[in-house]
Amino acid sequence: MTQRRNLQGNEACALGAIRAGCRFFAGYPITPSSEVAEAMARELPRVGGTFIQMEDEIASMGAVVGASMGGVKAMTATSGPGFSLKQENLGYACGAEVPCVIVNVMRGGPSTGMPTRPSQGDIMQTRWGTHGDHSIIVLAPASVAEAYSETIRAVNLSETLRVPVVVLLDEVVGHLVETVDLDAIPAGAEVWRKFATGPREGFEPYAVTDDLVPPMPRPGDGYRSHTTGLTHGPSGFPTQVPDQARAAIQRLSDKLDLHREAIESYRTRAIEDAEVLIVAIGITARAAQAAVTDLRAQGVRAGLFRPVTLWPFPEQALRDTVENSGARAVIVPEMNQGQMVLEVERLLAGRAEVHRLNRIDGEVIAPAQIARKAIEVLA
Amino acid sequence: MMDTLEIRFSGSGGQGLILAARILAAALVAQGRNVAQSQSYEPVSRGGLSRSDLVISDGEADFPLGGGLDYLLVLDSAAANASDALLGEKSVVLVDAELVPDPPKGAFSTRALPFAETARQLGNRRVANIVALGALAGSGPICDNTALEACLRDMAPAKYADLNVEAFRAGQRLVA
Repeated sequence: MTQRRNLQGNEACALGAIRAGCRFFAGYPITPSSEVAEAMARELPRVGGTFIQMEDEIASMGAVVGASMGGVKAMTATSGPGFSLKQENLGYACGAEVPCVIVNVMRGGPSTGMPTRPSQGDIMQTRWGTHGDHSIIVLAPASVAEAYSETIRAVNLSETLRVPVVVLLDEVVGHLVETVDLDAIPAGAEVWRKFATGPREGFEPYAVTDDLVPPMPRPGDGYRSHTTGLTHGPSGFPTQVPDQARAAIQRLSDKLDLHREAIESYRTRAIEDAEVLIVAIGITARAAQAAVTDLRAQGVRAGLFRPVTLWPFPEQALRDTVENSGARAVIVPEMNQGQMVLEVERLLAGRAEVHRLNRIDGEVIAPAQIARKAIEVLA
Repeated sequence: MMDTLEIRFSGSGGQGLILAARILAAALVAQGRNVAQSQSYEPVSRGGLSRSDLVISDGEADFPLGGGLDYLLVLDSAAANASDALLGEKSVVLVDAELVPDPPKGAFSTRALPFAETARQLGNRRVANIVALGALAGSGPICDNTALEACLRDMAPAKYADLNVEAFRAGQRLVA
């Protein structure tokens, strides 16, 4: 018996997190992400979890980091202005390698902007919002089913790699209700961070292991441990010794490079012989799907490359797609003044012409707009 | 295999448009169809342009937002012309006769119906959304009425269940 139901994107994030074992949510409601908190407030107590509405977004992020260090899978959700406030503690989680998930539902900006209107203006902020060289994973679902499955993947990646993971929705996908059967979406086995085992004596909380992911001490297991936002070596204590500092910072990015295959995810449509390739995420990718279908019906060889993992960007996959299809033009439609296009331009440097298609009026990019642009660039 | 169907509920914030759309969406899923429901509203608790779109298909829709409407409901003049670009020859437009004095005009069928007035006659002007839902359901092969009434009872506040069903049926009679 299938359990088909109508579910909202934001609610799907909450249910996906719980399915993956998340048992702590601290947040401060903000449009258009509030339904994530509402669903967590309703559902977490039913599975023995904890929901706290904090005094603000800064404290929410602090509580999430603390809960995770305490041994619980933890998540928060917010939108632009709140995501800005979370950056300092998010950076701490990056530096101290604390697993956690942050759902960011994008609305119009800058500042408080247009609370109920969609945007994709946080594409660069999710990568570089917090200061300093840091590594982070950003996943960008384009449907309600994917909001569920990618939030599960976010929890799992944050646990296995000890890295904060952002689930990045736009307002449309966050508020979109679609018919889904959650039981039909593979959730996989529950995944936990690697906990420290072995002798307590001489334990190093940031030991360099083969997989570059240090085992985490479980509170109560008796390991002496030190955690800090200051640059630290294997001992966990601050260091400014150049060689140790370099190694510590380098390991954070090497860690994600080493596990790139598990992190990267993307989808394609009709790319084999595509003359024009559209690169898009979120609701814009859904518009691009319709545009590709319409263009093909008119005999225009169009294809779609959709990063599901936005950061680290699926670099080689995009280069290969352009190479193998022989596409001579690439279009990057996005609801901002041009952010993801910068990465696409960098990666394709000269391999294909890269065209922008931007919208910043709080309205979505329609399939017909993308189709028109494709015909225009091929002319 | 049925065709994709697009329906928009539009009006002013607070009229219950999104609830009406959610009720129809639930009834359609109960009948085995796939629904994408989206909404747009302004950051105010009442007033401002509000709308909710349903894209009804057999699998996951490529693009889940309205692109060419089969049915458009307009319950307030705030939304009178907001959907003009999505109307075509096949469109059926239902507007409130009293609150939308200047309905969209074009090569499509438009009917002005007394949603607000019918609701007042039933004793509660707030059920105009359900009167309109009844009229919509009666305007074409959209959804089974039994499934719709079951979802209406299930999803609207319990103490108004009977009134809502009455409003739904009154809406159907407007287009009978």
